[in-house]
Amino acid sequence: MTKKISAAQATTVRRPSTADPLGPNSEIGRKLKQYYDDLVSDEIPDRFASLLAQLEEARPAQKED
Amino acid sequence: MAVSQDFKADLLAAIPSLRAFAMSLAQGGDKADDLVQETLVKAWDKHESFQMGTNLKAWLFTILRNEFYSQMRKRGREVQDSDGIMTGRLAVHPAQHGQLDLDDFRTALEQLPEDQREAIILIGASGFSYEEAAEICDCAVGTIKSRVSRARTRLQDILQISGEADFGPDAIASQVMGSSAA
Repeated sequence: MTKKISAAQATTVRRPSTADPLGPNSEIGRKLKQYYDDLVSDEIPDRFASLLAQLEEARPAQKED
Repeated sequence: MAVSQDFKADLLAAIPSLRAFAMSLAQGGDKADDLVQETLVKAWDKHESFQMGTNLKAWLFTILRNEFYSQMRKRGREVQDSDGIMTGRLAVHPAQHGQLDLDDFRTALEQLPEDQREAIILIGASGFSYEEAAEICDCAVGTIKSRVSRARTRLQDILQISGEADFGPDAIASQVMGSSAA
């Protein structure tokens, strides 16, 4: 009984994902995420924060006065 | 209307993923950062057209993408289409099964036409739905699906991946499943 169930489960697990061709079962999908996560975790240059500060100075944030 | 603090904070928070998308499109750190900069300026100028509560990330990606293609057109660079340009550029070494190197993957990704590359990035890495990606790319959902599928096939070809784990639920996979079960 127990053996039968686990065999059935094993078959289910081996079946390729039907929903997501770029999901965790896909080598391409995994590499894609690794590639992208690498980029996302890159250090962000300071220029963007100072750019937003400049923009804010030119067109200030909402003030109640 | 003044720009709200929340909007600025949301922009700041979106920069890492925006920049990752720019890097994927522009294939060069400086160009990518210029794209992000231009996108932030445009977003700031157009903040009134952004509807609070809708997807800011998708809105920013749309701006960045439009900027990317308009810069390419200005430079007179023809936008790559999906056909025919790959031949002769396949410089990636065959990967050992399960040992696919990230640099090899990057090189392979760079060989994709822009429309396929952006589609597979948006769907497979940035976490957008097909519907959102279609809106960002201003095309039909079916077009995104076919670009993603072609991109995936092409990456598999370039990287010479044919591992069983990488087959989708297609006829071959079902056949294999069927025969092993019989």
